[in-house]
Amino acid sequence: MLHGIDYFVVIAYLVGIMVLGLYFARFVRSADDFFLSGKTLPFWAVGMSIVATDISAMDFVGVSGQSYRFGMAVGNFDWLGSMPAMLLAAFIFIPYFWKAGLYTIPEYLGRRYNDHVRAVASLTWIIFFAVDLGVLFWAAAVMFEPLMGWKPWFSIVVTALVVGLYTFFGGLTAVVMTDVVQMVIMFVGGASVVVVGLYYAGGWSGLMDKIPAMGDAYQNHFKLILPADTQTPFPWTGILFGLTLVMSNAYMIGNQAIVQRCLATKSVWHAKASMLTGAFFKMFIPMLVMFPGLIAIAMYPGLKDGDQAFPKLVKELMPPGLCGLLFAGFLAGLMSTIDSLLNSTATLWTKDIYERFLKKNASSRHYMVVGQLATVVLLILGVATSPLSKRYPGMYVAIQTFLSFFQGPIFSVILLGMFWPRATQWGGLVGLVGGIAVSVLFNVLNLLGASPFTIQDPFLYISWWTFVVGVLLNVAVSLVTRPHPQGRLAGLVFGLPKEPKGSCEAAVC
Amino acid sequence: MLNFDWLKWVPMPAAKAVFLALFAVSGLLVLMIPKASILEGVENPRWWHNLKLWALGVLAVIFTIYSIF
Repeated sequence: MLHGIDYFVVIAYLVGIMVLGLYFARFVRSADDFFLSGKTLPFWAVGMSIVATDISAMDFVGVSGQSYRFGMAVGNFDWLGSMPAMLLAAFIFIPYFWKAGLYTIPEYLGRRYNDHVRAVASLTWIIFFAVDLGVLFWAAAVMFEPLMGWKPWFSIVVTALVVGLYTFFGGLTAVVMTDVVQMVIMFVGGASVVVVGLYYAGGWSGLMDKIPAMGDAYQNHFKLILPADTQTPFPWTGILFGLTLVMSNAYMIGNQAIVQRCLATKSVWHAKASMLTGAFFKMFIPMLVMFPGLIAIAMYPGLKDGDQAFPKLVKELMPPGLCGLLFAGFLAGLMSTIDSLLNSTATLWTKDIYERFLKKNASSRHYMVVGQLATVVLLILGVATSPLSKRYPGMYVAIQTFLSFFQGPIFSVILLGMFWPRATQWGGLVGLVGGIAVSVLFNVLNLLGASPFTIQDPFLYISWWTFVVGVLLNVAVSLVTRPHPQGRLAGLVFGLPKEPKGSCEAAVC
Repeated sequence: MLNFDWLKWVPMPAAKAVFLALFAVSGLLVLMIPKASILEGVENPRWWHNLKLWALGVLAVIFTIYSIF
């Protein structure tokens, strides 16, 4: 339980973030300001915001739980699962998106393929973000309960109210600038657990001595690359094909919550630099979220639920003051992810669905208000869906499972759209919908116990194979349907001229 | 097939080498990017504007981590 000084630290943090977020509300007067900060953001703020968005309460609880069960291999998600993809995003995809003046990734798909592809991709992300919000709120409840003694529903409602307020009024600028502060607090708070934990566990060498000595089940806990026939969810084949080639690229290139802030930077150089800044800070994340799980193995072996490793460590080891700092760091991780999901989902809804299909040519202020209302609806949906997470044994795997439904197919249409001029609108649509359908089929079979995969939680393999299905369907249908005229693809396909040669027939016009 | 059973014969050092090669190839590709593209949008280029250096720095750290573990 927290002490008086801890409550002071937490309340100071909440008030400070609230004031900071609301300060930026004065700069929000139009949809451009609300969704893209008027394209004024510097690279360092966006880079730090990318990391804060990516790392959440779920990572503190879920990743430490996974490292408690399976060891360092879970670190692949932040190292191997980020670096190559962030370089690809920085040097190839982000500059194209930035120059095209996009608000959303589905907007790119709409210009490159057609409105059907745009709508399917956008609705898919909207549904995912709503479910993701629920998972995040549940992670808050898991953390609050042992520390504060709060009931889950109370933790969820308090979190939703606090983060909803400044996101509603301040838009993307408030989200990014609060993320900067939250990332710093998150790093300091997370590092405090690692430092104190390592002190009690006998340092790094203490971990290296104790954990492998605990038996055969712990021999691979300090290996990043696990055998192909491991029964953990992280065989090297899944890490290579599912994570490195598909999921990480889909996440860093196709995830609206990540890419949107890069599109809000003040120049194309800042856009690229923001992604590389994010890559730099991401290197430190496994030390903050994975090490606590390893420390907990040495300190508290035999926990029934790995997700209790992090709360247990905090409750038993952290002194007053530091406990409050850590709790503020935890809240920072949680709030920085939730605010980003809220703003990005509001952007997807407003730009891809509302403006495109429901009400065209309204004023910029009208779309801003629609975005704010969408923020409120999303908050309510997130709170309502949060108990679903209870049905899954590991929260981190739960979110990866949700992602695997559509990461592969969406990345397949982005990749072919960017690099293959012959990809047609119907090829893109069939590839996307067919890939998602196969993914749902795999996941249903998995839930029914009839999975064709032999490992636990085969989301990595599902991502890869649904990506392959998406590519094959896209290619097959594209080859038998009418290609786009070259001029229409100007500025949308790598290697083609940035501007159309003749009259303005390009999709970007 | 779906479980990549056909790759079970690959020894672990070789699997690890695949990942290290991935980082090395990424570094080579970064080096091949034209400088004009790297400095696009910069009015008065300084040495630290060269994003190749940023990318290679990150890759060097990650290569070292995967070499050790």
